[in-house]
Amino acid sequence: MTPFLQACINGLLTGALYALIGMGLALIFGVMRIVNFAHGAFLMAGMYVTFLLFDKFRINPYLGFLPAGILLFAFGYLVYRLLIQPVRDKSDFMQILMTTGISLILVSGAQLMFGADYRQTSIELVTSVLRFGPFTINAAALLSFVIAAFFIVGLQLFVTRTRTGEALRAIAQNREVAPLMGINVTRIQGLSFALGIAFAGIAGGLLLPALYLFPTVGEDYTLKAFVIVVLGGMGSIEGAAAGGLALGVAESITSLYLGNQWALAIDFVLFLLMLSLKPSGIFGRQRA
Amino acid sequence: MNSLRGWRLWTVLGFLVASAGLPALTPNDYLLQVLFRIALFAALGLAWNLVGGYAGQLSLGHVAYFGVGAYGLALFTAHSVPKWISVFLAASVAALFAAVIGSIVFRLRGPYFTLSTIAFAEVLRLTATNLNITGGAIGLTTPALFTGSSFWTLFYLSAVILAFITFLVNYWVSRSRFGYYLLAIREDEDTASAVGIDTAGYKLRALLISAFVTALGGALYASAFQFIVPDNVFTIDISVQIAIITMLGGAGTLPGPVLGSVLLLGASEMFKSQFKESHLLIYGLLIVVVVLFLPEGIVGGFEQRLRNRKKTPVDAAKALALGGD
Repeated sequence: MTPFLQACINGLLTGALYALIGMGLALIFGVMRIVNFAHGAFLMAGMYVTFLLFDKFRINPYLGFLPAGILLFAFGYLVYRLLIQPVRDKSDFMQILMTTGISLILVSGAQLMFGADYRQTSIELVTSVLRFGPFTINAAALLSFVIAAFFIVGLQLFVTRTRTGEALRAIAQNREVAPLMGINVTRIQGLSFALGIAFAGIAGGLLLPALYLFPTVGEDYTLKAFVIVVLGGMGSIEGAAAGGLALGVAESITSLYLGNQWALAIDFVLFLLMLSLKPSGIFGRQRA
Repeated sequence: MNSLRGWRLWTVLGFLVASAGLPALTPNDYLLQVLFRIALFAALGLAWNLVGGYAGQLSLGHVAYFGVGAYGLALFTAHSVPKWISVFLAASVAALFAAVIGSIVFRLRGPYFTLSTIAFAEVLRLTATNLNITGGAIGLTTPALFTGSSFWTLFYLSAVILAFITFLVNYWVSRSRFGYYLLAIREDEDTASAVGIDTAGYKLRALLISAFVTALGGALYASAFQFIVPDNVFTIDISVQIAIITMLGGAGTLPGPVLGSVLLLGASEMFKSQFKESHLLIYGLLIVVVVLFLPEGIVGGFEQRLRNRKKTPVDAAKALALGGD
């Protein structure tokens, strides 16, 4: 039983970061109906920014994620105005192509700037372990869990409790009527896109200490983000948070019983099962 | 769609003869290999065109069939099936995969559809990486279909033949009732289904043909490079490349995929020497440019202009009218 529970704990710790990634994607999808195929590429960009801050200025990644998030917010807004806004009323086909193109540019841009080498940040926290009875918890994972939880709750409060959040939900519910209520759709959509990207950047910063960094590191996370969002019900932000945690646990249990190499496969199996059996998501209503 | 008569027929035949004659002018193996890939991706683009162009279903999982073709060839020949029979067996297996995958993914629309095609391709990649019979991450060796000094010439010519046959299939589809049904599905699936078109069935048929050709392409590729690993023949990059080639040239047009392959692979080959691993940058930039300024692709934009001048009704209206009877 202990290994199983230990796997669940590890899964929840990873799952909090997945939740961050998924919530960003859900926010963008909910408000714009655009599936961001570049989500993992933005996450990778967040990792590189955090890495550079660490490498050049010795800023600890657990602080560096914050400027990375802010920078990605600005970058996300710029990308929205230049590339996403022109296609927001085009077909899914064009939108998917556009975000795929952005992803290719970011990944090959990173390759051009930093080369394909694997990089690593070595900080002590990653190797220190806390003991709770029979269970062990990695200190770095715990710290990133706490930070992630803070942002998850923060985003949820922002969306449900603020005036801007209300405008955001109004657009998610009805794109046509929202502007009639005096909501500036372009501004809110830009904000949502930028926020979604910032969350990907923050998650990237928090993932950095535990991973090797290379230009295509984000690819798996784009796919994971889709799985999370589908699990939670497309466009539902709180659903994505739950979906992230669920995916973390599912992966962790899969690695325990079948081995690490199948952990990624479980993502897609879950994804396809979900889409064919209950496309509205485990936690989703019919329409998010 | 225009019929292949007069100058169009002569252009196609001229292009075919010129393509077939190219190896005589380039005895250089490297150039022949580049030409092989251009012809191969023209064939793959034309195959994708049936699903992504005519039926308007943005599949980013076509590498699944490409990979099944490649692995099928390796596995069948390993069990001492003759090489050429293995190629077609592998393609049939890919069509079988397409039947299963299609019956699931075609129930989904828009982003859900695209995502699920990616997911299936990724499941296959991971399976090939983790199973022993597929050689795991180390991969398998594949037999060369041709040997000797004219190795690349023969591979290039088979790719040209594959592309030409797929071109004819596209031509047939574009002029058949089947093709009009696909166009109707692309323009408005609900209306198409409301007027009695079996949308799921026609989409699936398009995918079966498409998957069969894509797998032939995969087998040819595997055989030319004689070695396959999952990250090489099941990579999403190939899916994206096929889609972009077709979109750039013009999805749903006949010459589009061929033009797209020549332009994109040519450009990427030139960039490769300068930017090494970053040559995908040109793909990204081209996608963005195409989406922003050329949403119909090069050929599509050109045809649109012609149509506007002649003021004939658009194909989609014709398709819907035909679907209704």
